[in-house]
Formats: sequence, structure tokens, C-alpha cells
Amino acid sequence: MLGTFVEIEVAGAPRSEMDGAIDAAFDAVAQVHRLMSFHEPDSDVGRLNREAGTRPVSVHAWTFRVLETAVELHRCSGGRFDITLAPALQAIGLLPSLKDASAPILCSPDAIELLPDQAVRFRSTDVTIDLGGIAKGFAVDRAVAVLRDLGIPSGMVNAGGDLRAFGAQTHTVHIRDPRHPSRSVCRIEVTDAALASTARRVDLVDGGEPGSSAVIDPATQRPVILIDGVTVRARSCMVADALTKIVMISGTDADELLESYQADALLIFPDGGVQITSDWHHAVHLAA
Amino acid sequence: MNWVRYTLPAAAVVSAASPAYAVRYLSIEEAQKEAFPSATQFSEVQAGRVWKAEAGGKAVGFFVFDRVVGKHLFIDYAVALTPAGAVHKVEILEYRESYGGDIRSPSWLAQFVGKTAGSALKINGDIRNIAGATLSSTHVTEGVKRILAAYGNRLR
Repeated sequence: MLGTFVEIEVAGAPRSEMDGAIDAAFDAVAQVHRLMSFHEPDSDVGRLNREAGTRPVSVHAWTFRVLETAVELHRCSGGRFDITLAPALQAIGLLPSLKDASAPILCSPDAIELLPDQAVRFRSTDVTIDLGGIAKGFAVDRAVAVLRDLGIPSGMVNAGGDLRAFGAQTHTVHIRDPRHPSRSVCRIEVTDAALASTARRVDLVDGGEPGSSAVIDPATQRPVILIDGVTVRARSCMVADALTKIVMISGTDADELLESYQADALLIFPDGGVQITSDWHHAVHLAA
Repeated sequence: MNWVRYTLPAAAVVSAASPAYAVRYLSIEEAQKEAFPSATQFSEVQAGRVWKAEAGGKAVGFFVFDRVVGKHLFIDYAVALTPAGAVHKVEILEYRESYGGDIRSPSWLAQFVGKTAGSALKINGDIRNIAGATLSSTHVTEGVKRILAAYGNRLR
């Protein structure tokens, strides 16, 4: 699902209740995948990319909520978070081409119009969106919401490194060193928060060119190269997921944005330097 | 919001390139041969991660390479699956830490044989813990469980 493994771990409830809750949480993740997959023609994203350039398209409340967050983050990040960059990803082969491949790459803050009654319209037929930088985090949030609604006191949902822990239990998460994938750079203690990471390497599972990145700087339309890896802690996994992309591009300049979302970040630089937002460094244990 | 700066100790970087204790027991090719001695061909199903083992044009199983964290460093291991998706063998390929290497004990690894996606795979449940290698044994067990969940029903 979502192009990765999703793991759910729960504690503190009778076995029979936990099994049912885990199934329901996986169903929520599967539904997010169905709604927001770039690759499925019948997903909300598929329909939007086909039709929203010519007429308003109604989408599911979840899709609308993700689009609202994406548009808001686009505004607050000076355009650095941009879900209309799909054509740039297509150009470097990270997404399959759907429309006329020679379509101009169009990024404008008002490319996406959010209308009443969960309808969405694109400013032109050239707009193509991809929610790959935010939907996985949203799926984790939905799974956590389901588990909580079903009375599970604590646990963790992990979708390929975008994770969220809930309840009183502290979870320890290892962050892989982007420069030396066989090493863990640090361990981070997570309690009742979300964590998302992105790195400039394509890991073990994906193959591909090492050193490339799926994070595109809208200003250059090319993958970013400033930072090797970013991990962000935030209250919601959707926000943590999206913020990793912005921090990958902006580096330490993202501090005000992080603060406004009550988020923290850890940056790994190519020279081995690590920078951590000051309120967070007590929870991060660097590997000696 | 301020940033706290650290520099990763140079020693860590050096030891990452060649950890002081890294022991490479098996290459992927050697592990494949050891898991499926009868196989005449291994074809990649997922680059660098999953191979299908065939003997005389017939699938004899699958070989999945994976990595988990031991205490600080990664453990490279492989899970060989039967065509039906049960564990045929678990092998440790590379171990980088100076302690906890007891997870290579054949009797400990033998506990996984026959497990399927439906097995509990719980440390101190159906899988024994190893004193002094708690983290390694827990993480390898979780890894095998994850591989069974991901591939146990899908590769046939």
C-alpha cells in the first residue's frame, strides 16, 4: 500500500479488540491509497488530473482535506511545497507520464481552486498534481484516528518511515545514515507525536540512482542537493511528511515555518554535520 | 527557534566505512546457494532484494535479502521462503557489532523454519530471546515477521 510497507503495533487492549482495530486501521490506509494514488485512473487524484482543468470535480472529504493542507503549506513555504510538480517528477522518470509529455511545467500558487461542497478546479488543463509528498502521512493519521476511536490506548503506525506514536508509551526510532545506509545516525524517542524522514538516497528497496532524490526544488525543477537527510517531528504525520520536503529545500531557513507548526527537525549535511532544533535535541541520541 | 549543531564524530564515519567488527559470513550469492542447493537459477523479482530460486524451470522458493538495526549497526540477513510462503531458512550474512553475534547460532535460527505469515513470531513467545543479544534477536524476529507479512502470500 502507498508503495511501501505499513506496520501497525498496538498495546493495552484485549487481543480480540486489537485485531479488529488493526484491520479497521489498515482499511483506512487502503482507502487513502485508493483515493490519492497517482497511478490509479479512478482515484480522486486520477480524476482531478484528467478533468479538473476543464470543470470542477467533487472529491472525497479526505482528499479535500489533504488538498487544503497542501495549498496552505504552499502559501506558507513561499511555494516550496508544491503538489503541481508532478511534471518535473515525470521528466526525471519518477512518475509515469499521463498527459502530453511536452506540456509546460506550470507552478502557480493558485493553480488549484478549492470550491464549496468539496469541489476542486484547476486553473488550466496543464496542471497535474501528485500527493506523494503528503498522502502517506495523512494515511498514518487516519489509521491512528481509527485505532483511537476504537479505544486502543497506545500504539504506533509506521508507513515506510512516516510514523506516528500515540498514547503514553515512548517508542525508539532509528534514523538511517543517508551517507552510510548500513549505519544508524541516531535514535529518537517518540511519544505521542509523528515523525517523517526523507533522504537524498534511494534506499535498499527502491533501487535507482543513489544520490538522487524525489524532492524537487520548484525554483530549479531539479532534485535538491543541499542536504543529505531530514527528519521532522510534528503533531500530525501529514504535516511532518510535507515539512520534510520543505526543509530538504530550505534547510535551517525553515525554522519559522517549523515553529508555526510546532514542529522540530533534524538535518544531516553531506559533510557529516547534524543540526537539530534546540527544543528537540534532548530526545535525539546520536550514535557515538 | 534555534539550531543545535553537532558534527558526527570522525571515528564514527571511519568505522562506518569499515566497522571495526564487521564480520561478513556470506555474500548474497553464497547465501542463496546455501539456502537452495538444488537451484540452478536465481532471477531477481525485486532488484537487490527478492530472488526467485528455480531448479529445472520449476520454482523451489524465494530468497529475500533484508537489513535490520542490531543495537547501533545494521545486520544483513536473508529469509529463504518455500514456494508456499513459509520460512525455509534464515541466514545472517553480515554482522557489524562486537556483541550480540549469538543470533547466528543455528539452533536459534532454526526456530523460524516453517513459520508463516500467520505465525505469532513473538520474542519469548514462539521465538526464544538470547541473553546479551536482546535487541539483535528482537529486531531480526521483527524483520522476519515483516518479510512474511509482505511476501508470505504474495510471491506465489
